[in-house]
Amino acid sequence: MRPKSLDLLQGTLDLLILKTLALGPMHGWGISQRIQQTSNDVLRVNQGSLYPALQRLETAGWIDAEWGASDNNRQAKFYRLTKTGQKQLRDEQAAWERMTGAVARILAAGNEV
Amino acid sequence: MWRRLRALFGGARLDRELDREVQFHLDMEADKHVRRGVPSDEARARALRDFGPMTKHVEETRDARGLPWVGDFARDLHYAARTLAKSPGYAAVAILTLGLGIGANAAIFSVVNGVLFTPLPYANGDRLLLINHAAPLANQRNFGVSIKELYDYREQLTSFDGLVEFHQMSFDLLRRGEPDRVATGVVSHNFFDVLGIQPILGRTFSDADDDDGADAVLVLGHEYWQTRFGADPGIIGQVFQMNDRPHTVVGVLPDVPHYPNRVDLYMPTSACPFRSAADRQIVANRRAFSGLQVFGLVKAGVPFSAAATEVATAGQRFQQDFPEIYRADTGFQARTSPVLTALTATARPVLWLLLATTALVLLLACANVANLTLARMLRRDREFAMRVALGAGRGRLIRQLLAESTLLATVAGIAGLVLAWTTLGVLTRFVGRFTQRTDAIGLDPWVLAFTMTVAIGSGIVFGLVPALSTKSDVLPSLKQGSLGSGVSAGRRRLQDALVVAQVALSVVMLVGASLLLASVWRLQRVDSGYRADRVLAATVFGNFSKYPDAQSQLALYEPLVERLNQLPGVDAAAITNAVPLVGANPNETPFDIEGRTPDAARRPRGDVRVVSPRYFEALNIPVLLGRAFSPLDHREAARVVMINQAMVRYWDGGEPVGARLSVDNGTTWWTVVGVVGDVRQFGLERAAVPQAFIPLAQMPNGLGGRVILRTAGDPAAVTRAMVDAVHALDPDMPVEDVQTLEEVRSESLAAPRLTALLLSIFAGLAMAVTLTGVTGVIAASVSERTREFGVRMALGATRGWVLRMVLRQGLVLIACGLALGLVAAAVFSKALSAYLFDTPPRDPFVLAAVALVFVVAGLLACLGPARRATGVDPLVALKAE
Repeated sequence: MRPKSLDLLQGTLDLLILKTLALGPMHGWGISQRIQQTSNDVLRVNQGSLYPALQRLETAGWIDAEWGASDNNRQAKFYRLTKTGQKQLRDEQAAWERMTGAVARILAAGNEV
Repeated sequence: MWRRLRALFGGARLDRELDREVQFHLDMEADKHVRRGVPSDEARARALRDFGPMTKHVEETRDARGLPWVGDFARDLHYAARTLAKSPGYAAVAILTLGLGIGANAAIFSVVNGVLFTPLPYANGDRLLLINHAAPLANQRNFGVSIKELYDYREQLTSFDGLVEFHQMSFDLLRRGEPDRVATGVVSHNFFDVLGIQPILGRTFSDADDDDGADAVLVLGHEYWQTRFGADPGIIGQVFQMNDRPHTVVGVLPDVPHYPNRVDLYMPTSACPFRSAADRQIVANRRAFSGLQVFGLVKAGVPFSAAATEVATAGQRFQQDFPEIYRADTGFQARTSPVLTALTATARPVLWLLLATTALVLLLACANVANLTLARMLRRDREFAMRVALGAGRGRLIRQLLAESTLLATVAGIAGLVLAWTTLGVLTRFVGRFTQRTDAIGLDPWVLAFTMTVAIGSGIVFGLVPALSTKSDVLPSLKQGSLGSGVSAGRRRLQDALVVAQVALSVVMLVGASLLLASVWRLQRVDSGYRADRVLAATVFGNFSKYPDAQSQLALYEPLVERLNQLPGVDAAAITNAVPLVGANPNETPFDIEGRTPDAARRPRGDVRVVSPRYFEALNIPVLLGRAFSPLDHREAARVVMINQAMVRYWDGGEPVGARLSVDNGTTWWTVVGVVGDVRQFGLERAAVPQAFIPLAQMPNGLGGRVILRTAGDPAAVTRAMVDAVHALDPDMPVEDVQTLEEVRSESLAAPRLTALLLSIFAGLAMAVTLTGVTGVIAASVSERTREFGVRMALGATRGWVLRMVLRQGLVLIACGLALGLVAAAVFSKALSAYLFDTPPRDPFVLAAVALVFVVAGLLACLGPARRATGVDPLVALKAE
């Protein structure tokens, strides 16, 4: 049995993908593994939303993709952050931090009562 | 945007990429499991399971790519083509049914489009009004304008830039000695300027051509120039003898349709001997030389309605100024109609009727194909359930079904265009009986656009009905091993409703067609008052310049009649201007009865005809009172006249024979010597009008020379002898329009007969489609209830009982449709009254016949499936479960 994992909040997947790709080009499976590992298996990426999300980000122009060889020499589609993607990442990250900060403050205030 | 476009057009490649990407993902995932010690099969399965519903992800990924709808549509079409290729039977029937419906619409629409919608091919076509006069109370529609009236209009009307006249004559044009009978348009010198026609050679007429002493000039029509002069470019300036005058050709017209009549060539009014003579009499007789067609070019910016009002007002002024000519009891009106409307006046109602019929045919075809599709869906329930289980939404399913129906409809549309294209020739000839605008009929871009719109529209209609009956609850279908039974109660009702609608529609059409057929049948059998069998008629028109006056005409016609009467095989010959059903309108001549005070407002009127003595004998028209004409009623004898029965009413019960009447305000008096039976002279559907007949010898001029021969045997056999007899007297006299009166009579019914025939074809088509629909629905229901029949028969039901049960089911559907259809027909058939002769729109005989035909045909349609039901082997049916 694996530890119970959380489903991703709506909209956060885009941010996580962008962040993950900020570290370097990566294929879809790699992205899902990376998010899972980095979050210590707390966050599980639903494959069903991963590929549509990648497609969406590519269409938006925030990432682009090219085919390359993976570690084990299989052909894989590697995604890479674009210029506009980097800017989008900064914007989204800032927005996320503002929001989580706000949520955290509200929760903390509740604790003091 | 570029990405989206690339996504759209590179769809297939991107799909392959996505496939590989997902494969890679699954491989990596499986590898991961293997590394943890899971056997490879199991690892693969686990990877798949973790990935989740594949189709759904793939589709969502595609959707994320951009313009998903269009991409989906293309893919749906592709899939639809594959699916349909797997059921060619269904596809073929659907395409055939729809193709017939669409083809009928495309064909009729191409006619409607060409005749009614295409602008006139003249520069000023959209500004032309036709002025016509009518006297509805005297039963006269659209009689022409007189010269004096035209001049008054020119003086009074301010809404027009020009008013021009047209009338048609037949003249002999002598071409290198050969007489050529030419249809001649006699027109104002600015006729072509007002219509907006430029010549391709030379010039048209000018002001100077009307000057006194000007040379007579001609403008040739394109077709005449081509066929008779081999399109000789040197024709301009050539001189031909016509009416004993030299006429010079000054121009050739382009290949445009001639309105209002097709003629060979044109001359200005000053060159026509009759028209120019009449011009000099107009002061004496206001109505002299009526019968002009007058075209007006409405000033730019002036609405048609304003011009129409002005013309109507001028007509009222005529009535106020000359009450004895424009009598109140005739309801005289000066009216206008756009030239296009006037030229299509007879065709318009027929075309709309046909278009309405074909629209019904198409509606019915849609219902039929919708039904087929429903039946097919019954078999596809499991496929759809599977697709829903794999993640397709209901919306996707509906889109998929619509793609299939649209694809079918598009193919059917193309088939329909081919059908329209092949039938257009026949249809054009048919429409040629109603209008001269047939040249504008063709499959132009409008027709293509209309057809494809109709096709795709019907695809959506017949696709949407079954598509909306899909359910998102798919479990029952998946669970069921065999063809679903209970699932489809709603759909079954829908199918029933569609069949009932089809039956109702075809009943309406069948009633319409039957009414027209009944009407034509009655027209064909109507007592016309004369015997048309064994009678030959021909036109022998003496050249006006050769026979200018009464004396010379009499000198030609009297010996001619004499000769014709002596021909072997001829029982009676006559010459007249009164061949029944030839010639359009009665001439309503006012007359006075001796001894009665003429009442200016209610003067008796009659259609006056000139006949040689044996006319009534030749046509077998009975003499009811008094006597017929004889050779004793010669030129110097006392003036005599015969009247028909319809005329007798003017005597208010008094004795007409022996009374005297005058058609020239009492200058000469004619004694009525006999009364003859009424003849439907101006159309089999029109009741006889009051007529008076004057012997040839006493009024020889103004005689349009038509000969009539009653023969002992086959009338056509004496043609040669007749032509020889004419040429023995005058070798230059053309003999034209040689026809038997039966042909004339049949010809006069050709238009209503063809209309009825076309409508019957459509109705028959509709009925055939409907009956296949009935068979299909009953058959589907039988195969669905096979087990039930098995059980019932196992429990003791007889085959007869099963047969009756199935037949009853079919009969209920037909009865419902029939009832609906008859009610609808009773409501809508009123619209047909204008087309019907002596046939009430709710003719109970017709309604009963249609009902009977439908019940019988419907029962036959159910018989096949019903017999299949009785053939069910209870054992087999039960074991199958």
